[in-house]
Amino acid sequence: MDALRQIFFQECEEQLAELETGLLEIQSGGSDPEIVNAVFRAVHSIKGGAGAFALEDLVRFAHVFETVLDEVRKGKLAASEHVLAIMLRAADVLADLVRVARDGGSVDDARIGTATDELASLSGAPAAAHGGASETEAEEEDFAFTPVAVAFPAFDEVATEPEPAVNEFTITFKPHASLYSSANEPVVLLRELERLGEMSVACDVTEVPLLTDLDAEGSYLAWTITLKTTHCEDDVRGIFEFVDGDCDLTIEGTAGVSAAGEDEIEALLRRIREEAEAPVEDAASETIAVETAVIEAAADEFSSTDEAVAAPAPVHDAKLAIVPAEPLPAAQKAEAPKADKAASGEAAQQTIRVDLDRVDRLMNLVGELVINQAMLSQRLAEAGLSRSSDFATGLDEFEQLTRDIQEGVMAIRAQPVKSVFQRMPRLVREVAAATGKKVRLVTEGEGTEVDKTVIERLADPLTHMIRNAIDHGLEKPEVRAANGKREEGLVRLSATHRSGRIVIDIADDGAGINRPRVRAIAEDKGLIPANAQLTDEEIDNLIFLPGFSTASTISDISGRGVGMDVVKRSIQALGGRVSISSRPGEGSTFTLSLPLTLAVLYGMVVTVGDQTLVVPLTSIIETLKPKPGDVHGFGGDSRVIALRNNFVPLIDVGRELGYRTQIVDPGAGVALLVESDGGAQSALLVDAIQGQRQVVIKSLEENYGRVPGIAAATILGDGRVALILDVDAVVAGARNGGLASDNLLALAG
Amino acid sequence: MSRTGKSSKAGERRGTRKKLQLPEVMDLTAAAPLAQSLLTRRGSDLSIDASRVRRVGAQCLQVLLAASATWKADGVNLALEKPTEEFLAGTRLLGISFDQDMTRPESA
Repeated sequence: MDALRQIFFQECEEQLAELETGLLEIQSGGSDPEIVNAVFRAVHSIKGGAGAFALEDLVRFAHVFETVLDEVRKGKLAASEHVLAIMLRAADVLADLVRVARDGGSVDDARIGTATDELASLSGAPAAAHGGASETEAEEEDFAFTPVAVAFPAFDEVATEPEPAVNEFTITFKPHASLYSSANEPVVLLRELERLGEMSVACDVTEVPLLTDLDAEGSYLAWTITLKTTHCEDDVRGIFEFVDGDCDLTIEGTAGVSAAGEDEIEALLRRIREEAEAPVEDAASETIAVETAVIEAAADEFSSTDEAVAAPAPVHDAKLAIVPAEPLPAAQKAEAPKADKAASGEAAQQTIRVDLDRVDRLMNLVGELVINQAMLSQRLAEAGLSRSSDFATGLDEFEQLTRDIQEGVMAIRAQPVKSVFQRMPRLVREVAAATGKKVRLVTEGEGTEVDKTVIERLADPLTHMIRNAIDHGLEKPEVRAANGKREEGLVRLSATHRSGRIVIDIADDGAGINRPRVRAIAEDKGLIPANAQLTDEEIDNLIFLPGFSTASTISDISGRGVGMDVVKRSIQALGGRVSISSRPGEGSTFTLSLPLTLAVLYGMVVTVGDQTLVVPLTSIIETLKPKPGDVHGFGGDSRVIALRNNFVPLIDVGRELGYRTQIVDPGAGVALLVESDGGAQSALLVDAIQGQRQVVIKSLEENYGRVPGIAAATILGDGRVALILDVDAVVAGARNGGLASDNLLALAG
Repeated sequence: MSRTGKSSKAGERRGTRKKLQLPEVMDLTAAAPLAQSLLTRRGSDLSIDASRVRRVGAQCLQVLLAASATWKADGVNLALEKPTEEFLAGTRLLGISFDQDMTRPESA
């Protein structure tokens, strides 16, 4: 049962994400009925699962929510800005209820109450919610489906509406594959229906393909059932209760329905359906989907595309009474993507859930394999075998395979940052509401993939930085207006891959960092000496100092005792860096640069003193052999090296790390030109280069402790441990007078 | 099921008519094996013996419908023999009817 619960909550997370994504898509103008359907399904699935686990609160709230969504789905309620705002809030409450059901605790009753009331007001009085604004009506048209009249020029010839019989239902029922896979059976459902009264069944077999194309466990049949019964609609619906999310189902009471009471088009469509007796393609799906099919029918019939011409029979012909058994490729092709989208269960079938531990074990083993392969290479070199020998060639192939396996395993662990990004809209809404600011969040690059561990540990820093961006970055609406800006502030969250790392920008168009104030606070708190000479960049970086907080009163939002120093530390723990660029009056951008994986890196193996170090290849631009004339002293012990009409600082890695104290002759070593945060270049002086190698990262912090200037460790082919250099820390350390001096600025910058 | 079955002349001449016994329980677990065994018999006349069927499910009927379309497309004969009451009741309930000559299915 626990395992089931766990699966339920995992699925809830997915459904909640789907819900939020869908609502936001509608908010940004998406009018595809499939989005509304997806949103509805998400809430419905949560409700269904919650019912199975007797999570009463969750079921109750999901039910109210679902009712409103159903109205929207049926086109009875327009998805206006107002409605969407309520639904987004409801989605937040729903997420909280799920979380409480999983982790315990409680949700503020007042919040649930408010959200429930808001939702109830929508579904209870849909007419009032429309507001009559022309915009609202225009939006409503996106959900209703007026432009279909052209599809059927023969409307007038359609037979008149049949005599309404008391309690006659027309049920269209199209199972999804998930209905079967959850061990439900149409035979049983139809037998139950038959018990209610007099039933006639028409089966649509048009979608059944040839045997070769058939997925024996797929779903191709759809039914249109006419039922004359003394029972009410709820009884009929009750039969489908347990399969509601696993099929397309419409139940329409033919009795007592007058055309005057509903959309004229809808009435016409119903008549067409009845005229057609046998189901038109897709007639079994939800109302909105039917309308889409009709529009598509129009498109097919009137377009002169090859497919339409090539179609063997007019599939969408309303008078298609006898259903051909032959598959109709063109029609299937057109339907396929929709079916994929519609049946979320089908998408789920293409993935498997794997215990993360297993993947990690595999990852570890691959790491060992890489080390083992490095050892073999080394033995080979030691044995003095020529590089052209069969043995060496075989080993090269082995190396290639190892790399492929490694990439494969890493791809398993890689996930799009979407899972973190999609938590942010809610955060933005909440923070905006709490601070009284207007904020628009724009996210880009949600599909950018990065290791799962990185993603998990990214959520907290990102949350904090976005809070900061709104709370401290953006100005109040009236201030913005006075400064000639839009009242609505913009926060942009974007992710990209850049040279083997993932770069995440959090940019706001607010006031920028108030440097005089930051400096004053740092001086006040004794973080810097009063007369310190600081560049703008250094002042900006002061906010990363432990104990620094600019908010004069601790606000609800940002001041939770966690400062930017924690953000910085957690990013650094991931092997990442944070940098700031801020322009007064125009806003700030915080840039996080993180490794794609925490498991391996390509490095240059170098010798410093008698030690072997690894320098991450991603930070090296080029290597050069310094000529004695190129190196110049530059005050104290500092030296610079002339490089193509430019001078860059020359940093002796051996001295920085404390391997030696005396100054060495640069001409005897090799300089690695590296680029650190903010694009500044430096040359790292090492004694010799051994080669380039892929190394498996072993955390030094977990196994030993944090060492300034060292990012992690690795095991080399000969079994020795080599340290991996933290290039930024070394460069920053050298700039600020040595790593050993424990300079606060070095820690901060 | 009023018509009597007519066997394919070509099938008789070549003597390649094969037989397939439908299982007793045609539920969803039977669909994939059924499709598989039908596929291996593709290309020649086939008699499907439904005399043992006690329970029938929609997914197996999908497979049979696909088979009937396939056999029809291949121009060979597919016949349904000795359907049980249960089989007929199941197909009737689902609004599917198989003529004895299964290459001519009709919607009920």
